[in-house]
Amino acid sequence: MDWLDVRGFVEWSTDGVTQATIGQTRFWEYKDVVSTVLTEATMGGVVFGLIMGTVLMIIWIERKLIARLMDRRGAMTSMRSLWAGESGLDAGEWWRKVPYGIGSIIGRVIRLLQRIIGNSSKKPTVDRVNDRSYLGWPILPGMFQNVADGVKLLQKEWMVPKSADRMMFEAAPIIIISSTVVILGLIPLGPGIYGPDLQYGVLFAMAVFGVAPLGIFFAAWASNNKYALIGGIRSAAQLTAYEIPLLLVVLSVCILSGSFNFREIVQDQIDAHTWNIFIMPVGFLLFITTMVAEVERTPFDMPEAEAELVEGWWTEYGGLRWGLLFAVEYLRTYAACILTALFFLGGWQAPFAGLIAATPGIGEQLAFIYGLIPGVAWVLIKAWFVFTIFVWVRAALPRVRTDQILEFGWQWLLPLAVLNVLIAGMMRLFLYEPLTDGWFTWNIIPTMLLGSIPFLILIAYTSEEGEDATRPEPILVTDLSHNALATKAKQLDGADTV
Amino acid sequence: MWITMGPQHPMTHGLWTLRVKVDGEIVTDSEPELGFIHRGVEKICESRDFTQITPYCDRLCYVSANTWAQAYVYAAEDLLEVEVPERAEYIRLIAVEIQRIASHLMWLGAYTPDVGNLTVFLYCWRDREMFVDLLQELGGSRLHYNFPRIGGVKRDLPIGFAQRARAKINIFFDRLREYERMLDESTIFLIRTQDIGCTKAEDLIAHGVSGPNLRAGGVNYDIRQANPYSVYEELDWEPAVESPSIKGGDSYDRYRVRMEEMRQSANMVLEALDKIPGGAETHHAPDDPAILAKAPLRAPEGASSMHRFEDSRGEAAFHIIGGGEQRGKYPYRISIRSPMFITIPYVTKVLIGHKIADIPAIFGSFDPCIGETDR
Repeated sequence: MDWLDVRGFVEWSTDGVTQATIGQTRFWEYKDVVSTVLTEATMGGVVFGLIMGTVLMIIWIERKLIARLMDRRGAMTSMRSLWAGESGLDAGEWWRKVPYGIGSIIGRVIRLLQRIIGNSSKKPTVDRVNDRSYLGWPILPGMFQNVADGVKLLQKEWMVPKSADRMMFEAAPIIIISSTVVILGLIPLGPGIYGPDLQYGVLFAMAVFGVAPLGIFFAAWASNNKYALIGGIRSAAQLTAYEIPLLLVVLSVCILSGSFNFREIVQDQIDAHTWNIFIMPVGFLLFITTMVAEVERTPFDMPEAEAELVEGWWTEYGGLRWGLLFAVEYLRTYAACILTALFFLGGWQAPFAGLIAATPGIGEQLAFIYGLIPGVAWVLIKAWFVFTIFVWVRAALPRVRTDQILEFGWQWLLPLAVLNVLIAGMMRLFLYEPLTDGWFTWNIIPTMLLGSIPFLILIAYTSEEGEDATRPEPILVTDLSHNALATKAKQLDGADTV
Repeated sequence: MWITMGPQHPMTHGLWTLRVKVDGEIVTDSEPELGFIHRGVEKICESRDFTQITPYCDRLCYVSANTWAQAYVYAAEDLLEVEVPERAEYIRLIAVEIQRIASHLMWLGAYTPDVGNLTVFLYCWRDREMFVDLLQELGGSRLHYNFPRIGGVKRDLPIGFAQRARAKINIFFDRLREYERMLDESTIFLIRTQDIGCTKAEDLIAHGVSGPNLRAGGVNYDIRQANPYSVYEELDWEPAVESPSIKGGDSYDRYRVRMEEMRQSANMVLEALDKIPGGAETHHAPDDPAILAKAPLRAPEGASSMHRFEDSRGEAAFHIIGGGEQRGKYPYRISIRSPMFITIPYVTKVLIGHKIADIPAIFGSFDPCIGETDR
C-alpha cells in the first residue's frame, strides 16, 4: 500500500457523507449499502477517468513511435518536435518562463540539443513540425491532436444509410462501447486505486471482453453493406481461433495465483518475489499474441482489412460514431495492455527496488524516494511499454489471412495454451509453498526459461514442407514473331491455346 | 454475391472497377471494367506533330513516364530514319533505368499495403525521392519529364550528375537489402504471397503477358536482350528470371523479379556512367551534335514503323504510320500496345479460386497502371 490510497480516502469521505445525509434518519440501517454503493461508484469513476485521461498517451505513443519506425526523416522531425517550440520561440524559451527559474536547466539542455541536432534555420523546421504534431504544448507535442480530431468528428453529419437496419445500426456502437467501459471500471490500477473488487473479477472481465465481437457482428449485419458483412463474418470466424487460447492462458495465470481476483493475482506475484512473465514466458507470448487478435490490430486485423474491405465492418459508420468506435478500439487495446501488466509484469510492484536499496551509502534514501512513486504510475508505465510492443508489431508485420489465423490458432496457440495450463497446474500443486520462499524463485526462473526454449524453437521453425526440389529451368524465348511464341506455347501445353 | 470493387477502392491502384463474384470468401468469377480514364491519346496524337507527341506519351503512365516517352521516341526515330548519337543513347539508357527503379519502388510501396504493411510503403517513397530528384535534374520536372527528343535527348547530364547518381545508388543497394530483410525473412509476408496467383508459362505466353510478370513465370524473355535497341548489348547484364515451382510463378516470384530488376537497373546505370562516351563529367551544349541529331519533320508517304520497348511493366510497342504530304507533319495513325491492358483481363482469370484477401495480394503483384491501360 503506497501513499496514494485513493480508495481509503473515498471510503473515509463516503462514510462522512453517509453520516451527514442519512445520519439521523430512519434510513440509517441501510448505511452499509449506501456507503458501499457510493464508494464503488466513485472508485469506478476514478478508475475509468484515469484510463480515459491517459488513453491520449496511448494514441500519442502510437503516433510518435510509428513515425519513428516508418520514416527516418519524419522520425527526426518528430523527435525534434520534443524540443522545438512555436514559431520563433523554441521550447527552451518556454521552459525559461517557468517561475523561480525552475525550468532554466531543462531550457538550457533543450537549447543545447537545438544547437546540436536542431535545424540551423529554425522556422521551416518548426513550421513543418507545427503542421501536424505541435499544438502549443511544449512537453508532449501532438498529445492533444486527438482532441482536435474528436472535435472535427463531432461536427460531422450523423448519417445512417438508407437501407441499413436503423435500430441495430445505432445499437451496435452502444454494445461495443458499453462493454468496453464495463471492463475499464473493473481493472485495478494500483494498490489503493480500484473499483468494485469482485472475487471473480477476471472471469467477469474476460466474459465482457468477448461481448464486443457480438456488437461488431450486429454492426456488420445492420449496415447492409457487402464489405461490412464480410468483415463482420471474418470477425466472428476469427473469434474462435484466439478466444479459447486467450482464456486458457488467463486460466493458467489464475491457477498459478490461486485466485480469480485481479488484486490477489498481483499480490501473489509480489509475495513470490517474481513476476509471472519469468515463470510462464510462453504464456506471456501467447497472451500478447491472442490479445493483439482480440483487439483486432495488425497482423490480425482482417475484419477491417483496408486493402480489400475498404474499412471492414465499420465502413458505413461516419462522424462521431466512427470516432467513438475508433476511441473504443484504443480503449480495448489499453485495457489489454493493462491486463498484461497485471497478469504478467507484476502490476504495481516497482522494478529494481532491491537493486536501488542496495546502492552503497545512499541506498536507504534512494529507496525512500523511489518508494514515493505511486503504484498506479508503474501499472501505466508497464502498460505503455506493452503497447510499444503492439505498435512495433504493427509496423513490422503484414496482415495474415483468415484461414491462416484459424490454422495458427488451432494448430499452435491452442496446444501451447493447454500445455501452459498444465505447467501452471503442476507448479501450483508441487511448487506453491516454496514459491513464497525468496530463494526458490531463483531456481525456478532459469528452469522455466530453459524449459520453454524447446517450445520457442518449435514456434520459430514451423513445418517446412519439401521445398520445391524440382524447379524447371526458365524457358528462353528469343524469337519475337507471334508464331514462334504460339509454337512455344503449344510445345509447353500440348494443345493449341493461342 | 457480386462485389464491385472500384472505381474508388484501395485495391484498384487507379481508376477502374473489378467485379468479383464470391462464394463466402472464395472468388468464383471476376471481370474487369476498364475505361474510366480513357483520354483518347491515340486520337489526340493524330493532330500533333512528331515532336509534340512526346509529352502526351509521358502522361500514358504517371509512374513510369520516361519509359513511355522513350518508347514513342524510338518508334518515331525508326519512322523518320534518324541516327542517334551514341552519347545520347547512353543518357537515355541511364534515364530509363532510373525511371525503372523509381517505378518498381512505387510498385513495392503500393504492394506492401496490399498485404497489410504500411512501413515499406513509406520507406519506398523516401527512396523513390532520390531517383525522382535525379530525373528532375535531367528533365526539369518531377513527374512528367519530357526528356527524350527525336534524335537525342533534351540536354546533357548536368554537372556532378554522375557523382550524385553513384552515391544515391550505393545508398539504394543498402536499402534494397533492408527491404529484403524485412520482407523475405517475414514468415507472414511469405505465407501471404507464396502459392497464390500461380501463373504457368504457357498461359502467360498464350495471353500475351510480358515483362516482369512473364519472367516471374519462368520465361526468359526480355526485349532488351531478345531484340536489343539502345546500347544494352554493350553492357554486361542478364535478365532477371525466376524459376517458379511446378504450379507456376506466384506473387512472391513476381516480387523477387522486380527486386532483382531494381538491383540490375542500378548496376546498369553505374556501368553506363562508366562507359558513356565523352565521359560522365564532360558537358555539352543542349544542341550539341553529340547528344542531338537533326530530325526531319515529315514522314514519307505510307511509311510505318513498329518498335518494341521493355517498359517497367512489360512490352510497350508503338506502331506509327506516317502521313506523307497529305497529312503534313502529323502522323496518320498511332497505335499503342499497353502491357497492362493485356495483363489485367488475364489476372481476373487468375483470381478465380482464391480468397477475397488474396485479391489485392495477387492484383498488386502484377503492378497494374491504369493510365496506360485506358490510354
